[in-house]
Amino acid sequence: MDIPIYEVKSLKHAYAGKPILDIQHLTVQAASIVGLIGPNGSGKSTLLRLLGFIERPSSGQILFSGRPLAPFSNEARFQVTLLPQEPFLMKRSVFKNVSYGLKLRKNKDDLTGRVKQALSLVGLESDEFVQRPWYALSGGEAQRVALAARLALKPKVLLLDEPTASVDAASAQLIKEASLRARKELGTTLIVASHDWQWLYEVCDDILHLFRGKVFGSGRETIVFGPWQELEAGKWGRKLSDGQELLVPLPPDKDGAAVIDVFSIGDNALKPEPEDVSLRGIVSRLTLEKNSGRILATIMAANIPFIVGLSQQQFHDHPLFPGKTASIHYSLDSVKWI
Amino acid sequence: MAFILKGFFQAICLLARGNAENYSAILATLRVSSYSIGSSLVMGIPLGFCLGYFEFKGKKSIRTIVDTLMALPTVFIGLLVYAFLTNRGPLGDFSLLFTLPGIAIGQTILALPIVIGLSATAVESMEKKLRITIISMGANRRQLFLTSLWESRHALLAGAIAAYGRVMTEVGISMMVGGNIKWHTRTITTAIALETNKGQFGMGVALGLVLLTIAFCVNFSVSFLRRRY
Repeated sequence: MDIPIYEVKSLKHAYAGKPILDIQHLTVQAASIVGLIGPNGSGKSTLLRLLGFIERPSSGQILFSGRPLAPFSNEARFQVTLLPQEPFLMKRSVFKNVSYGLKLRKNKDDLTGRVKQALSLVGLESDEFVQRPWYALSGGEAQRVALAARLALKPKVLLLDEPTASVDAASAQLIKEASLRARKELGTTLIVASHDWQWLYEVCDDILHLFRGKVFGSGRETIVFGPWQELEAGKWGRKLSDGQELLVPLPPDKDGAAVIDVFSIGDNALKPEPEDVSLRGIVSRLTLEKNSGRILATIMAANIPFIVGLSQQQFHDHPLFPGKTASIHYSLDSVKWI
Repeated sequence: MAFILKGFFQAICLLARGNAENYSAILATLRVSSYSIGSSLVMGIPLGFCLGYFEFKGKKSIRTIVDTLMALPTVFIGLLVYAFLTNRGPLGDFSLLFTLPGIAIGQTILALPIVIGLSATAVESMEKKLRITIISMGANRRQLFLTSLWESRHALLAGAIAAYGRVMTEVGISMMVGGNIKWHTRTITTAIALETNKGQFGMGVALGLVLLTIAFCVNFSVSFLRRRY
């Protein structure tokens, strides 16, 4: 079996004593695309910085191609690069920004040609942009220049932290295409933190769900936050805004987060056991999952999105479309607390 | 009011004619301020960078001391440097009292906290994203340091200008350590003080105008450099 490009072991990281990450084990295969999903503050950016060897973890190990690396080591510097969330360029021209990393590598052959090529990958006309100063770019253009600067390095690993969060739709599309092209043409491993679930489900080989610094599940689970209340004697849950009751087993604390794995959808699908919970919602989105070929349906019950995976056959038997009302079912026993 | 106008008129005449004594003071000022600002930048920028960039025990206390030293009175520095350089002082053997290098030492002490303090502020206000960007592009520690310095160049220049302004316009150190010796250690500011005391108001104004011109030239050059880079 191939050595994974990343292997994370017993990783813990804290800022000023406050724990941010706690990951027991995690592997990423070379040339794969891995998505990181999780709410703000779940530790996605911190994990990317650690994987980018920009910071040293408080404890634990990150193996890169089987070897432990440290920040500023040559392998880390020249094989991994990170694109931060907000567009940030150094106070210099577009050309100097894009060629900066190449110069650091003393890789100065045909700088102009390679800068031009990198800019074209992100849809920027070289003649128009190459001499522009950093302050004469829009947010979307700045983010694309920043991505071009990384692509010019032909990295082994490209870490993208919310690459499309602060750009317009056109720029977001170009950024997505350029990232995927790097993977296709260079075999670059992509690790992407994004709130754009649909895109991640479409392109990722693996999706990791991060919550409160811990990795769990496949990203298809739904996390529902408290406060929880005892609706009736021994019956815990939350009243949703549309009057339905979302039931959970006895919560460890009133503000705990419940992980709910929906097992079936549709009134005529797997008939739920009497003790199972059913909720009604509206189909808001359908996405084709990349590797499995399953269709992921997002059902909005009140304001909570539940994601359910359906096989092609299930989907054929019980067709769904956005706007259709559907029922989802989950077992109380399967609810986990984090 | 008339004597002020007369003073300005005399000043213009003096500058137009050219006066060797004036030029000697101007040259001494330029030499001594170049020495002091050069040495304070060479020492102060790396120290200020470290103070602003790294987190270490006692950082806040050092920062408070540096900020306090930024307001050091020039006569007090003059007094201390005099005490060290005088024949009876620990550095008396170097015969630096009443010399331009002696004044430069005092002015370096004056400028150094300003350069350190303002460099530290410039580095502290650098965006965290800059560090992430530089490292993620493949920089080693030395390249990270140099690129961070270059990226904070505008703020560092502003600090250098502030320090240069303080050095150019101080009187206390030049008077006490230099002794205001004609053709030798007389600087523009000590000359202005002396000429005004002698009632030579025109000469004082002339030298003041020269000081103003130098300040303008320095600021204009810096402003040009900022636009260019």
